Amino acid sequence: MIALIESLFLIPIAVSALLLLLPKTAARFLTILATLVLSAIAIYLFTQATDRPIQFAVSPVVNKIVMIADFSLLLFVIGAGLKQKNILVWVLAILQLLVLGYLTTKMSETQSTQFYVDKLSIFMFILVNVISGVIAVYSLKYIDEEKCSWFRKKYFISMIFWFMAAMNLLAAADNLEYFYLFFELTTLASYLFIRFRKDDESKKNALTALWMNQIGGLAILAAIVYTVLTAQYGNPSFSDLIAKGNSVAIILPFAFLCIAGLVKGAQYPFNKWLIGAMVAPTPVSALLHSSTMVKIAPFIILRISPVIKGTPVATVMIGLTAFVFVAAAIGALAQDTFKKILAHSTIALLALMILMAAVGTPVAVTAALILMLFHGLSKCLLFLNAGVLEHVFHMKQTSDMSKLGEAGPFTALVVAVGFMSLLLPPFGAFVGKWFSIETIGTVASGFKIVAPLVLVCIATGGAVLSLLYFKVLGAMISRTGESDKVKFEHIHPIYESTLIFLLCALLICTLALPWLLPYYFTQVAADTTGLALIPVIQQGTNIYIGSVHLPLIPMLIAFILLPFGIIAGLFVRFKHVDRAKEYMCGEKVEYNFSSFYFSTDKATPYFVAIGILFFVSIVLVAFFM
Amino acid sequence: MNNSIIQILLIVLAPVLGGLIYGVERKVKARMQRRIGPPVLQPFYDFLKLMDKRKMMVHSTHAFLGILHFISLWFALAVLIMGGDFILIIFLHLLATALIILAGFSTRSIFSHLGANRSAISILAYEPVLVIIAISAYMLTGSFDVSALYASDVPVLFKMPLAFIALLMILPIKLKKSPFDISEAHQEVVGGVELEYSGIFYEAVYTAKWLDYIFCYLLVFMFAGNNWWLGLLLVALTFIYINALDNSTARVNYKQMLRFSFWVALPMAFLNLLMTMFHLI
Repeated sequence: MIALIESLFLIPIAVSALLLLLPKTAARFLTILATLVLSAIAIYLFTQATDRPIQFAVSPVVNKIVMIADFSLLLFVIGAGLKQKNILVWVLAILQLLVLGYLTTKMSETQSTQFYVDKLSIFMFILVNVISGVIAVYSLKYIDEEKCSWFRKKYFISMIFWFMAAMNLLAAADNLEYFYLFFELTTLASYLFIRFRKDDESKKNALTALWMNQIGGLAILAAIVYTVLTAQYGNPSFSDLIAKGNSVAIILPFAFLCIAGLVKGAQYPFNKWLIGAMVAPTPVSALLHSSTMVKIAPFIILRISPVIKGTPVATVMIGLTAFVFVAAAIGALAQDTFKKILAHSTIALLALMILMAAVGTPVAVTAALILMLFHGLSKCLLFLNAGVLEHVFHMKQTSDMSKLGEAGPFTALVVAVGFMSLLLPPFGAFVGKWFSIETIGTVASGFKIVAPLVLVCIATGGAVLSLLYFKVLGAMISRTGESDKVKFEHIHPIYESTLIFLLCALLICTLALPWLLPYYFTQVAADTTGLALIPVIQQGTNIYIGSVHLPLIPMLIAFILLPFGIIAGLFVRFKHVDRAKEYMCGEKVEYNFSSFYFSTDKATPYFVAIGILFFVSIVLVAFFM
Repeated sequence: MNNSIIQILLIVLAPVLGGLIYGVERKVKARMQRRIGPPVLQPFYDFLKLMDKRKMMVHSTHAFLGILHFISLWFALAVLIMGGDFILIIFLHLLATALIILAGFSTRSIFSHLGANRSAISILAYEPVLVIIAISAYMLTGSFDVSALYASDVPVLFKMPLAFIALLMILPIKLKKSPFDISEAHQEVVGGVELEYSGIFYEAVYTAKWLDYIFCYLLVFMFAGNNWWLGLLLVALTFIYINALDNSTARVNYKQMLRFSFWVALPMAFLNLLMTMFHLI
């Protein structure tokens, strides 16, 4: 087992190095092979997962390597900051350097185990390896069409694997110092990815991403310092912190970890880096900013949820994320660029995941996990489609997409299913949202006045998001009645196969939800919360999980109606029916129509200010209790 | 409402019953305007006449989505009648609405697009209120199932009167009645999403509207608990209220509608949530 887990760390690193050396065809072959192998390992681990977490230590040499890597990484960041004259970047990096230097003198040499793989980690492995793997394969074609040198193309694919290694390591890290390194590695990856195109905007946004995420790094270091200084905690590792957290009752380190998570999850006021990241090539947006990297945020909160559950810190976080859910949705309404709309809705849905993780009851954690999986699949699908729209159809703005229904019915169909899957029954993301609403309803009495406000936020935010999705969809699916034949366009087989794979995965996971729920999600939730497994009772056609239940028959009928109904809609032909022209009220006008434009820019500064207030109050609340 | 024979009958007869309600509504409205009005069965005569019309459509997908809208709305209604999960019902209704909005967007018709846009905005106006009402109902009964409301001995109305008022505020939006009939506004967008349907294909969208009547009035009926007579009284009063309102008010624009919904109806539902949560009534 341990060898397999270590292979998840080492294979991507090795592949990443090899890709730089191999010629083109071999590199392609290797990418596909590595994706298959990594996904297979992740899924094998999933089948083999036991209730006992696997803990293992690595040789002391690695400690040294981690230390050196930490310092060299920070030096690199300082260099980048100084070279591009961004004061925030280098000041934050120097601060981290000082803290880290201080820590090396304080840290005891006797380290416990550095890695800790429980079911949550394996869940992350699946998410990271399968989805990033699909994106790696997709990038083979996408990056081929970029205008850059042959070496940079190889470098791009290689970096994806390097990033996968960092994510796998992060999901398994127990020691906080290791965790810090991997966290910083993903930050560095996002920096390098965002500036890949090397134009001015990319460089600027890359620096924004860098300094904002540095705050996350600094927060982790602060957590480590505080743990080291508090004698009761022992080693700065997740397992020790969680084991002793409730008895020591000093939650400041956890508050700092929460902040690290919230920054990585691009919650207000740190939303700007994720939006800015959309200048990067589309696979990057898909990889870092929708499907995998931002999932670090709910992951951290889930890890520490047994301790922060029910504390004032959790309450403040719930308030913050509920607010972000609405604010990001409102912010998205004003956008026109397809990728920016996706980014905003990612922030909103991440807020919901973090919210559920912070609530921390088994059912809430189950909802968070469902959301993580299905959001990952749907958003990846949508982002890869954004890439296709950009490269094949040359459309970036939703207002340009009015001809898509005729030019690319297949793409339009996939986009439609993708958006619907974030919103409507029977899809998993809907089930996650539904469970979220009901769970908060059931635990409301524990949160007093906060709960009703949160519920209003979720209800409103959900409605705003649905308006947003319709606005986008509406811009792209129209077509004239001149010919009834829908001819699917042919896009490159790599594009087509990855999109179809994701679509099938989405549909299969949705169908498998009644089985995944009792046999997987609740078990991961039990493992994560450290509480007893919530019994899943099947009664007739209802599946009861704690206080919520999933009626199977309506879900099944909804499944027939929605994905199949819409797909069938493209193929159904009514014979012997005459054609009518669209009604124009007797006027001869060109068809020229776009969705409503919502101007919400005025509100955004207030959102940022409120976000800052929440962040400050997380620390204050943790400090004074 | 927990008698399965009545439930099944109601599900099967829902379109007919809805048509009757529509017929009565036209009559009542006419009388309010001192007209005689069409016969009560006029909707069904229209229905038969539409079947005879020449078959026309813009394209097949558009026509098919209209039929799918009817089916999914009927299905959402069935779940409501069977007493399913309230939140699920709201979203199943959203699914049905989503399909008709997609249908509206799928043609290259300006009015159809306008109507679809406006329908999407209407969702924003009524959905949060409904979700909050559903959660209040949970706080009251301890179950998210609508069947718990049907079975409640004390009429829900007396336990959460503010929720009922909030519901009355958003019903005109959901039923597309003046002053909130922006999504179909005949004088402005010529019926909105319905516009491009004709003949036999319009039938689906036309009867779907009847189903919406049943859906909305069932939401009202729910507030009476297991007291059927009170339920019918509530439905009758709401029916008169809706029609009187429809007759006596002018259409507002969508911004005013949203403002009303967010500053009046939603706070009302929110207050109700607070009251049920802290057991103030």
